[in-house]
Amino acid sequence: MFSGLFSSSAADAADFAHLAQASVTFCDVVKRYGDRPVLKGINLSVTPGEVVAILGPSGSGKSTLIRLINQLETLTSGEILIDGKPTRQLSRRALRQLRSRVGFVFQQFNLYSHLTARQNITLALEQVHGWPSAQAHTRADALLSQVGMADKAEQYPDTLSGGQQQRVAIARALASSPQIILFDEPTSALDPEMIGEVLLVMKALAHSGITMIVVTHEMQFAREIADRVVFIDGGQILEVAPPEQFFQHPSHPRARRFLQKVLNPLHQDAV
Amino acid sequence: MPALDWQGVLTGQPLQWILSGFLTTLWVTLAGALVASLLTLACLGLRLTGGRLGTAVVAAWVSLFRNTPLLVQLLFWYFAAWNGLPQAFRAVVMADHPWSVLPGNVWWFTPEFLCSAWGLGVFTSAFLTEEVTAGLRAVSSGQREAALAQGFSSWRLLRHILLPQGLANAWQPVVGQYLNLMKLSSLASGIGFAELTYQVRQIESYNAHALEAFSVGTALYLLTGIALGLLLTKLGPTPARRRKTNTELRSEEPC
Repeated sequence: MFSGLFSSSAADAADFAHLAQASVTFCDVVKRYGDRPVLKGINLSVTPGEVVAILGPSGSGKSTLIRLINQLETLTSGEILIDGKPTRQLSRRALRQLRSRVGFVFQQFNLYSHLTARQNITLALEQVHGWPSAQAHTRADALLSQVGMADKAEQYPDTLSGGQQQRVAIARALASSPQIILFDEPTSALDPEMIGEVLLVMKALAHSGITMIVVTHEMQFAREIADRVVFIDGGQILEVAPPEQFFQHPSHPRARRFLQKVLNPLHQDAV
Repeated sequence: MPALDWQGVLTGQPLQWILSGFLTTLWVTLAGALVASLLTLACLGLRLTGGRLGTAVVAAWVSLFRNTPLLVQLLFWYFAAWNGLPQAFRAVVMADHPWSVLPGNVWWFTPEFLCSAWGLGVFTSAFLTEEVTAGLRAVSSGQREAALAQGFSSWRLLRHILLPQGLANAWQPVVGQYLNLMKLSSLASGIGFAELTYQVRQIESYNAHALEAFSVGTALYLLTGIALGLLLTKLGPTPARRRKTNTELRSEEPC
């Protein structure tokens, strides 16, 4: 509490309660686990309201990339600017504030299993944002309708299907009206017939003003909804392009091979 | 085998002693459980947020109080630590206070009661800390990350997400520890604390009704244990699985 009073550093004083510009900028971002490099110098700017799809093979570092934004992982070196402000050396308080402005949707949903769908949404509103319970309740119900889950408000996560759990998780991530939302392979743990319902919710969200960074294997989502595609392999960005260009004329040979394997898995040799 | 004379235990002065001892046991159990719960919460908080130093302090606490006999600990608190407290404080405790009397004429603001409750609480907290920690570890790390990503502080994460689930996971062993606390309060007779065991022994030296007196004492411990066990199990958090079957029965559709 007192560190804020006596600190003169710009990072500590940074106020993330409201982002003027929901932009995210990576500057020479490096992440190593021990000696193993995961990201080797990433430079990328995401503009406010943009929808960016991050593609790449497993283990390419794409999940790590978005987990660095809200500091579920810590940077090894470099800097990430959010709203033009550095985020590397935030006080605990400022970090919590930043996290509460950035929604995060996990591959494994990660709903609080002791709480109902509605309580999953109201908990942070009441405990982190200090909303009165009646207001949080109303907000939760509105969000649940938005993702088509209004009739499941009283159910516990383990009684919901994967697709339903992920829709509740998206509603939870939207509760605090974040200006940036990050998706970490949101459909990878779902049965094939449930992927559509989650992608539809995400499609409705895209271009509503919120900045979306989506790590995904859903090529159709990347092609139809993203403004830009970022292709990562081996901890490096190999290609950044609008989707039509990326899918029709990928410029990097590694990207061409990746697309060939993903889009045409039975004929891998026929390039 | 000599004929049992229950009249010698269940009337007059012996009955007074048994009732007073029983109530004292109940009160010191309640106070000890309160101390144990608060200390456990403090240990868990320290372990979660205190960094390396906090973890080391909790490890030392658990190690010290889990690996030494409770009787020795009680003797230490009563004969050594108590005398280390400021004279002024001890004088206040020794004085008579009307607010010190609990229902059943049990005095709680006395060196014996305070040392017993504290000693039992400290001892039990060492066990509870490890058992609840095991319960907390069973909560998926994904939920922890989800809460951090939503901006929860460590304390609120513990209070609203980890503890409700961790306690539900560990509830049966936790109930066992509170029952242990109740039974181990008998060791406080070793520092002259007039709880049930102390009073039962007093009957034995008063009219030599040892068998009757210890039978009554045993029955009272047994009944208290059963009642406390049932109560804590009923009051405890509902495990997710049991709750799930209820909802499932309602929403399950035939396939």
